[in-house]
Amino acid sequence: MKIDLSQFRQLFLQESAEHVASMEAKLLELRASPDDVELLNAIFRSAHSIKGGAGSFGLNSLVRFTHSLEDMLDRLRSLEMQATEEVIGILLQSVDTLHGLLECDGDREMPAEAAALIGRIDALLTSQSPDSATGKHDQQTATTHESEDLSHKQPEADDVAIYRIEFRPDPEIFASGTNPIVLLRNLAQLGTVSSCELHSGSLPTLRDLDASRCYLSWTIEMASVRPVEELHEVFEFVEHLAEITVERLDTQLDTQLDTQLDTQLATHREAAVENKVLSGAAQVKTTAASDVPAKQASPRKPAAAKKPAGGESNAGSSSIRVPIDKVDRLIDLVGELVIAHVMTAQMVEDFEPSLLPRLRESVAAMERNTRELHERVMAVRMLPVGTVFQRYTRTVYDIAQSTGKQIRLEMSGEETEVDKSMLEMLGDPLTHLIRNAADHGIEDPEARLAAGKAAEGLIQLRAFHRAGKVVLEIADDGAGIDPERVRTKAIERGLIAADAQLTDQQLRMLIFEPGFSTRDAISDLSGRGVGMDVVKRNIQQLSGTVTVQSVKGEGSTVTIELPLTLAILEGLLVRVGDRTLVLPLLAVIETVPLRDNQIMRVASQGEVVVIRDESIPLLRLRRYLGLPLEGTDANEPGGHFADDAAGNRRLAVIVEAGNRKIGLVVDELLGQQQVVVKSLERHLRKIDGLMGATILGDGRVAPIVDVASIADMNLFSLEHTSQPLASFSSAATLGKQNPIGGNAHAMV
Amino acid sequence: MRKVLIVDDSVSMRQMVSFTLRQGGFEVIEAEHGQDALNKLQNTVVDLMITDLNMPVMDGITLIQNARKLPAMRTKPILMLTTEGLASKKEQGKAAGASGWIVKPFDPEKLLQTIAKVLP
Repeated sequence: MKIDLSQFRQLFLQESAEHVASMEAKLLELRASPDDVELLNAIFRSAHSIKGGAGSFGLNSLVRFTHSLEDMLDRLRSLEMQATEEVIGILLQSVDTLHGLLECDGDREMPAEAAALIGRIDALLTSQSPDSATGKHDQQTATTHESEDLSHKQPEADDVAIYRIEFRPDPEIFASGTNPIVLLRNLAQLGTVSSCELHSGSLPTLRDLDASRCYLSWTIEMASVRPVEELHEVFEFVEHLAEITVERLDTQLDTQLDTQLDTQLATHREAAVENKVLSGAAQVKTTAASDVPAKQASPRKPAAAKKPAGGESNAGSSSIRVPIDKVDRLIDLVGELVIAHVMTAQMVEDFEPSLLPRLRESVAAMERNTRELHERVMAVRMLPVGTVFQRYTRTVYDIAQSTGKQIRLEMSGEETEVDKSMLEMLGDPLTHLIRNAADHGIEDPEARLAAGKAAEGLIQLRAFHRAGKVVLEIADDGAGIDPERVRTKAIERGLIAADAQLTDQQLRMLIFEPGFSTRDAISDLSGRGVGMDVVKRNIQQLSGTVTVQSVKGEGSTVTIELPLTLAILEGLLVRVGDRTLVLPLLAVIETVPLRDNQIMRVASQGEVVVIRDESIPLLRLRRYLGLPLEGTDANEPGGHFADDAAGNRRLAVIVEAGNRKIGLVVDELLGQQQVVVKSLERHLRKIDGLMGATILGDGRVAPIVDVASIADMNLFSLEHTSQPLASFSSAATLGKQNPIGGNAHAMV
Repeated sequence: MRKVLIVDDSVSMRQMVSFTLRQGGFEVIEAEHGQDALNKLQNTVVDLMITDLNMPVMDGITLIQNARKLPAMRTKPILMLTTEGLASKKEQGKAAGASGWIVKPFDPEKLLQTIAKVLP
């Protein structure tokens, strides 16, 4: 039977990638406790699993490499070797190499760096304790060789020998799960049995017989071309539960005899052996025919010869593992939904007005089911952020190694769940922020000591839920961001005017502007051509916000706030003119009716509404959307906030993003509901101010406002364009052109 | 149909073995580690158990020792599925009550052959 395992290759690669990630994390943990056997065992198991699977797919480089790695880990876990920094360093490099081998499907020739690492590992093993190293190694290779030799051996006719085998099982042999009959059968397959005697002398009477004990023993005579060791091997697992002797009767049996045997002996060898044995007769003589030639003709097929189907992509990044209970619950819900549907359909079929209340009820039940199903399906996409966090221990370790700094990374809230697609997009910005904190934030040990801090710097990576959002914080206890240096740099780069009046906090937020870098010499670690502006853009793409808090000399904290999931949100539906827009409810703080006496015009900010002594800039959505203006429309600059034709009072929805509040002027609130976010087609231009669209109950498409990007725009310049904006895209252009504003006043 | 319990912490290995066994006409149940296997053996009677040695929570050797104490498993064949080429491991397994072993790399044909050698 030919069994094709190539379909499991992808799963194996994916699983191995997880093993590699876990090895890396555990190795880094190991630095703090190099004697932790549990940890070492876990690392060993990972290497072991990779090796075990790799062989099945003929990934030979991977097998060879993990084999060396495993040797070293085995020595470490048995504490024959110390997990020094050097050893951990080599192991970490090995993890990288493994990663590389898996990336290329582990299929190609052994890369030079992998071969070099094997050399280093072997050198280390021999240098640390030559005796036990070589000893173990030899033993292992010896075993392998032995079995290879045996199975590949092409027996020659000259080797045919007659054996007598005495097999006296211990009464307890059944307790090893071995049935003596099965062993006899296996033995018979190795040659031609000429006689099989059953000794049943110790068989008790039926009354005393204990069915779980073995009372029988056998003497077998057989001709075989196999070496005596191979006959012994049949009994290998019962050696301690039986007396076994294999004796060669005639050392010089020539081919003639062999031929004679073949012709003489009866054919039903296997059945004969079993039948006679079972018959329980005291002395049974039997003869059997040989199938020796047939046996020799099947050398073992090396697993490595199997070539998995090519063309498969690497460890599937688009797959997701879901705990079975989540899936079960989904199936339950689908079942309930189907039942509700059947009931409803039945009612519609036999409809009469008196059934209306029941129909309503059953529609309501379907709605409940659908909503729960939706929530559960979304939950399937949720993964713990810890999976992304893991890699940063390594990032920080590498930076500490290359800069000579001492840095500790503390993580908390790894179990906080985030939408999978969001998690994938968070990797890069987080890496950048961590690198920044380690490279720019944390000072050299000398500088830290001079400043009265501990030599070891601390970076904290925290994840938690706050008010329906996922919050990620990257905090360091480093030098902090000096607002004055930011100002100088920003003026130098032409980001702000020389006389710009900005608070310290506003200055710090400038680090997120394109083309900003506070460090004169760009380090090779963080200066990879991406700046904090890219971080900010990435986070905004996720409908999130990023802010920085910092105290000079004490450190900085970058806070990222993200919606729980990208695909669904609680929306506030508003009407602007004849359009319906959706505002993410999470961003909405309050809604206030607008009265003329609350509106003030501030030279630098345009229109603001004063609420509880706080002045909040206003954005007239009607104008922003480029909708036709009515005579005294509130959405016209300078227009009054009169009631509209229907007598509805104009409203300002106060939204907040990234510590900035804005009042969006709308005509009417339509209600709130959960909306499914549909991303805009890719071939459409990216439109600032919109995060997507949703389809309303009546089939209309409603755009979803991206509060974060609107909060980022220069409202002042928007208001002062002479023409009403014709479309989103032109508004976007304007917003982009002058992000800080000529005098920086509009940037709050 | 004869039932086999496969115990391995590696999902891919488990699936490969299960697939092979199903192709070979066996019914298969899976366990992630020794403890999981013991729990499953409380409710299910199997004809054969195949276990990995290196596993978290409970390793294969401990599993074999414990399985042999279960009346339903006392005389059932137990195979070790392992990458270990070490004779000491084999001895340990033997002492614990294993009936045979299969050395990785996992080869489906070899697996079925080995099973045929231990099943009555």
